[in-house]
Amino acid sequence: MMRTTYLLLKYTAILIWSSFVVLPFLWALTTSFKTAHGITSGATYIPWLQYEPSLEGWKVLVRTGGAGINIVQPYISSMVVTVGASLISLALGTLAAYGLSRFTYRLGFIKNSDIRFFFISQRIMPPIVLAIPFFLMLQYFGLLDSIIGLIIVYIALLLPIATWVMVDFFNNILREIDEMATIDGCNPIGAFFRVILPNSLPGIVVAGLFCLIFGWNDFFFAFILTFTKTQLLPVAVVALNSSVTPWWSLSASALVSVAPLVIIAFVVERFLSSGNMAGAIR
Amino acid sequence: MAMIELSHIAHTYEPTAVTPAYALEKLNLVWNDGGTYALLGPSGCGKTTMLNIISGLVRPSQGRVLFDHVDFTDFPTPKRNIAQVFQFPVVYTLMSVEDNLAFPLICRHVPKAERQRRVREVAELLNLTDKLSKPALKLAADEKQLISLGRGLVRNDVTALLMDEPLTVIDPQMKFEIRRKLKKINELYALTMVYVTHDQTEAMTFADTIVVMNEGKVVQIGTPQDLYNRPQTTYVGYFVGSPAMNFIKCTIDDGKLQIAGGAIPVPPGLSIPAGTENLQLGIRPSNVKLGTSRCEQSLRGTVQRVQEFGNYRVVTVAVKDELLRLKLAPGAEIPALDTWVVLPEDRICLYADDELLAQK
Ligand SMILES: Nc1ncnc2c1ncn2[C@@H]1O[C@H](COP(=O)(O)OP(=O)(O)OP(=O)(O)O)[C@@H](O)[C@H]1O
Ligand SMILES: [Mg+2]
Repeated sequence: MMRTTYLLLKYTAILIWSSFVVLPFLWALTTSFKTAHGITSGATYIPWLQYEPSLEGWKVLVRTGGAGINIVQPYISSMVVTVGASLISLALGTLAAYGLSRFTYRLGFIKNSDIRFFFISQRIMPPIVLAIPFFLMLQYFGLLDSIIGLIIVYIALLLPIATWVMVDFFNNILREIDEMATIDGCNPIGAFFRVILPNSLPGIVVAGLFCLIFGWNDFFFAFILTFTKTQLLPVAVVALNSSVTPWWSLSASALVSVAPLVIIAFVVERFLSSGNMAGAIR
Repeated sequence: MAMIELSHIAHTYEPTAVTPAYALEKLNLVWNDGGTYALLGPSGCGKTTMLNIISGLVRPSQGRVLFDHVDFTDFPTPKRNIAQVFQFPVVYTLMSVEDNLAFPLICRHVPKAERQRRVREVAELLNLTDKLSKPALKLAADEKQLISLGRGLVRNDVTALLMDEPLTVIDPQMKFEIRRKLKKINELYALTMVYVTHDQTEAMTFADTIVVMNEGKVVQIGTPQDLYNRPQTTYVGYFVGSPAMNFIKCTIDDGKLQIAGGAIPVPPGLSIPAGTENLQLGIRPSNVKLGTSRCEQSLRGTVQRVQEFGNYRVVTVAVKDELLRLKLAPGAEIPALDTWVVLPEDRICLYADDELLAQK
């Protein structure tokens, strides 16, 4: 009896939660194939039976001029900025994290833990506080409205995340591994690249995932620091909006924006569950 | 392959504390080239700290580390060319067993052919040959420890091989085998070996010289015979030998040792300074004999207990308020109750304030 109740509750909860997660996608998927007429006739889900599917919403995204807003260029820009900033943040963050985890720094009263907190404090501040300084700095260097400028700003945003994740990861790798490597003849840098780094792959993957998600989804800075020459995907998607809300193309663009993250999530999930995470040490 | 000298070494892990606790108190110690040493002491006495100071993983708070009279204190670990085996297995899990064993040679740019030859040799020695291509991750704990040990043995030009309780997880038969092989390597390459353990049998069977430590201090350095026959402190007497040494309070009166209600002559050559207090007589259980009649060296006692250990028996005899233990051959005759115990004078050690009194 208890068991049945428990199972019932469990599956109800799972059902509610999954519909919560899945239904918006379903809605977006069906909507993207509708026309203005299809949308006004209430919530319908089955194509051909309930509404006449159309590819108009999708075509708009790749069409230039006239009735179309091309999101191909923003898509590419977004990828370049996100991947570039993520890679650089990962490289710098991993090195910084190794230093913070293994060596003791002291600058007056500032210790390792303070440096660590300083990194994360960048993310605690509301973004608006950073927006004006970023704007002024980029303006000074003539980097407003450019891919390079955005990459620099995104590194400032992603580096703390990468560092934070990796410090934690390195702290969980036994120091004896480093010590053993130095006994075996590596200097600290050799020990890092030959022994510690290969063992940290799961941590790097997780940190990388965070960087990609945060970088890809950022709207605020992409919006403030670009005007006409450069446009990132989230800004382009919002720009689709006009006097008549084009639900169909908005839905289609939302789907293509989440697609890369979904694909990465699947790949990473495979990687993490295939035992790469297990027993990296000892 | 060098003489290692620890000169005025002391170490604390809390240098900023007002009254720091010293893991190692000031000590001078020389490890001779090619010797086999055992570092024996209870948990937390500073054995690992000592090894880490030699290998450079820990920088001593005070003092110098000299290799062949050259100051190496400021040299980083890789430059010291020390092989060290840690207390618990450390393996590089993403590498195969073979790569694990070869790693110290790869780091030091040993040519490939030579590398493979050495790895095969060590694998043979440790019975790992059929596991060479396996990933190290998949091995059991004892096999991982063997790999740890193997990485220590794969270089034969090291300054010294330091082993921190390397065989704790290995089964006894294999343990014995490996200790024998280590001895052979020592003879073959004249490699200085330091073997940390808190098992005295292991120390006795492996080492030519045993260094006994307690609470951050070296209490005695000597051959297994020295430690057994003339422990420098009562601590060594308790710690080495099984059962432990007998210690009985005594005083000097009438030129005789007043002990447990009886009196025996002071052993010759012993000078006991006037006013010496806390005098204790120490004697190994195997050196105490049972007597049938009164003699100069004997005391009256009562047999309390007999314990059988197979190849020997331990008899506990009460002598007034003191208990004496005797280690006898299995078939030895034991009187029912009252007896005489004989303390041969050449086997007696005297301790004042737990320190052995010099004997000429
Ligand atoms: N990294 C460290 N930080 C602070 N204190 C330490 C550290 N390592 C050891 N100690 C302390 O120093 C003392 C000596 O430790 P050490 O590890 O050298 O003992 P040990 O003889 O190797 O003991 P065991 O037989 O348990 O391995 C201990 O009191 C220990 O608590
Ligand atoms: Mg130890």
